Amino acid sequence: MTFDPAILADYWPLFLQGAWLTVRICAVAFIVGYSIGILVALAALVPSRIVRALVGAYVGLLRSVPFIIILFLVYYGLPFAGIRFPAYVTGTLALALFASAYYAEIVRGAILSLPRGQFESARTVGMSPLQAMRHVVFPQILRGLVPPSVNMTLTMIKESAVLSSITVAELTYQSLVVQGNTFAPFEAFAAVTLIYWAITVVVARLAAILEARTGTAEREDVERNALAASFLTLEAPKRR
Amino acid sequence: MTPTPPATPLLSVSALRKSFRGTPVLKDVYLDVAKGEVVALIGPSGCGKSTLLRCLTWLDPPDDGFILIDGQPFGRALVGDTVRRQGRREIDRLRPKIGMVFQQLHLWPHLSALENVVRPQVVVLKRPREEAVARAQDLLAGLGLGGLEDRFPYALSGGQKQRAAIARALAMDPALMLFDEPTSALDPELVGGVLQLLRRLAGEGMTMVVVTHEIGFAAHVADRIAFMDGGRIVEDGPARQVMEAPADPRLAAFLDLIRSGRPAA
Ligand SMILES: Nc1ncnc2c1ncn2[C@@H]1O[C@H](COP(=O)(O)OP(=O)(O)OP(=O)(O)O)[C@@H](O)[C@H]1O
Ligand SMILES: [Mg+2]
Repeated sequence: MTFDPAILADYWPLFLQGAWLTVRICAVAFIVGYSIGILVALAALVPSRIVRALVGAYVGLLRSVPFIIILFLVYYGLPFAGIRFPAYVTGTLALALFASAYYAEIVRGAILSLPRGQFESARTVGMSPLQAMRHVVFPQILRGLVPPSVNMTLTMIKESAVLSSITVAELTYQSLVVQGNTFAPFEAFAAVTLIYWAITVVVARLAAILEARTGTAEREDVERNALAASFLTLEAPKRR
Repeated sequence: MTPTPPATPLLSVSALRKSFRGTPVLKDVYLDVAKGEVVALIGPSGCGKSTLLRCLTWLDPPDDGFILIDGQPFGRALVGDTVRRQGRREIDRLRPKIGMVFQQLHLWPHLSALENVVRPQVVVLKRPREEAVARAQDLLAGLGLGGLEDRFPYALSGGQKQRAAIARALAMDPALMLFDEPTSALDPELVGGVLQLLRRLAGEGMTMVVVTHEIGFAAHVADRIAFMDGGRIVEDGPARQVMEAPADPRLAAFLDLIRSGRPAA
């Protein structure tokens, strides 16, 4: 067996189309999924027990089911409700729902990790809960949200390969097509590997830029890190 | 001069109750504070002082009882003879009237000192930004923070943070200021400055309720001392009288304890 780069020369437009669709699907799923995630995270913090129970069920269910099952549930379930979408829409929706549960947990955890007094002091001056979130809580947790969100987004990008099973012509689907046409599976999958890798590198870089720009909580970190450092070196932290 | 009729108190608390998981922490608290009056709230640790302040702002919703701010019901209103709990919006609308300075201050670390004072004015009172900035600069300068407007909280000393937090509360033009142990988080050499500041606010006619272990403040700045024990205000009277002739034996014991210089319980 020899590696035949000519296959890639012939089929690159297919790979390109697949990659482009994967990127678009993931971008939309990210935006929709993160929006749902933030709403779910906020709902998880309201006093109402009923709302919290519903939110708990939503997150718990989505996180305990393999993505391919979520996909099939949405794909075969929507027609029952009389809704017919093109496969790529259904797939994007399923991907967004899947990711939203994890994003919700990331956002909820970050909100809870902020000292309660921050939210409370915003409420005592008369801010509404949403205003307190917008002006006091979110600016402080934004930076910490980036790394776990990137992790989840990379996972989601990889899970998007499963959409090939409902005939969405994304990257993995195209590689299967090429492989079927050429009987050169190694070349096809090697090409796809490189493309997925390129996509994730770009996403990670964008995230790093974003993280550097959201420098809001940075200044307090300086203090915290100094404290942490002094513990690590076993020096007594200087009393302020 | 004609005698002035007794004005409605600025703050009127009646039969306030609060339990945490069935454990009563506030049991029937009554407290009236007249406009311009300074009340020192003292009492042993765990008697419910912080809880009372938190209930006064509805951060912890009281289980029962009424709060009137300048005659207006806050949180719960008596309509005819049914008790109506106010909605969140109604509660939020009155909140700026009560300035609260927490023991831990809770300045917002992502905002500069100036922005800590400006943001609530803009968001809550809908003040135009220039007006809010001008007001904040005035307040900060008046509190000795002139030139530090652009510092972030981490770069302020304990005493400066405290004054920034006070400025943030004052910027909302509160009718009443609540302080929870304003000196306990400070180094001893800063205590005098804060007490002086509170004295100045009192001199400017601000109505205040101050939880404190500073017996000097209670004696010299406060008009009245309210002594709390076991979730009730058990003695309440003119500062001098309470200090010099405590009627309740628990208060007498508490004052002895504090005067003996033991760490404030
Ligand atoms: N959120 C809460 N849940 C349960 N118990 C609470 C809560 N907050 C306060 N308590 C209890 O209520 C009692 C009164 O607490 P509070 O903080 O009001 O006391 P305090 O008078 O301010 O004391 P200190 O002088 O030590 O600050 C304590 O026994 C405390 O354990
Ligand atoms: Mg307390």
